[in-house]
Amino acid sequence: MTRRKIIKTTLITIGVLLVIGIGTGLYLFNMPHRDVQNTKSDYLLSANEIVQEYLNDKDAANKKYLDAEGESKVLEITGTVAKIDTDFNGQKVVLLQSNESKSGVSCTFPLDFIEETPIVIGQTLTIKGVIRSGAEYNEDLDMYENVLLDKCSLINNK
Amino acid sequence: MKNSAILMFLMTVVTLTTAFAQSGDKLVSSETHIKFFSTTPAEDIESNNFKSVSTLNASTGEIVFSVPMQSFEFEKALMQKHFNSDKFLDTSKNPKATLKGKLDNLEAVNFNKDGVYNATVTGDLTINGVTKPVTENVTFEVKGSEILLNSKFNTTLADHEIGFSKGKPSTNIAKTVEVTVVAKYKQ
Repeated sequence: MTRRKIIKTTLITIGVLLVIGIGTGLYLFNMPHRDVQNTKSDYLLSANEIVQEYLNDKDAANKKYLDAEGESKVLEITGTVAKIDTDFNGQKVVLLQSNESKSGVSCTFPLDFIEETPIVIGQTLTIKGVIRSGAEYNEDLDMYENVLLDKCSLINNK
Repeated sequence: MKNSAILMFLMTVVTLTTAFAQSGDKLVSSETHIKFFSTTPAEDIESNNFKSVSTLNASTGEIVFSVPMQSFEFEKALMQKHFNSDKFLDTSKNPKATLKGKLDNLEAVNFNKDGVYNATVTGDLTINGVTKPVTENVTFEVKGSEILLNSKFNTTLADHEIGFSKGKPSTNIAKTVEVTVVAKYKQ
């Protein structure tokens, strides 16, 4: 009786472990992409603030905002629309930058973004997105690079 | 009075010269696409990046690309995590890859005349914080005021100290990956 019980328990344990193992494997393989828009914002900043933080100390800013596995901080950036573009993927790109600033925050909206009210140059907007890289003066390019936000959406489109 | 007039004149000259020196013939492109493709018997992996900035100096032939590494998008979320991790490209420490190069045969390319031109670029490719000299083929398609750069080359990951030492990702990614670069400049 006891021997049969041991065998039974062992088999059940192995079975459960197997199911967990396969389940975890399948989950990891099919893990959904991070839903940036339903992630709570980590920081609320103006375009000037984040640009200045990067220009002051790039390494410290990278440490603060970039994540080792690419799940970097979700930011809400407020600024003035300086430029509206489309990238090679057909995604809308809005640059938030003030006149006196050397660089700005370049925000890329997903392909399925619906612009309910047209975004216009000079307008003040708050845009939420995940940071991909920071602002810096790039010697090779001989120009300032922007902070990049991806997976963007509008916060207060008034 | 005379002195201040001279000073004014000098200042104007300096301002104008720096203004011209900065604009020069340098074209800036933010319409770029960088793709890499890895194939092994286990699986094919593709990733796209549309967020690079590039400059092309039509009079000196200098070409620069700055590639934000966390902007590479993968079909599978786990692949993207692996790619960014410190076991692979360590993108929080090295957030950008750069190519700084120069055309070897600038005279073969006429940026002011429509046509397709073949050229080679020699320069330094920095990925994962490791710089290696490279020479790659590029084509320029000049059409009106637009210049389209195209290049396809292979990069050996070990050259840039990239690679999983063990585990599934080390066998599922090729030792050499194919990189495709496209950039559109407007002059």
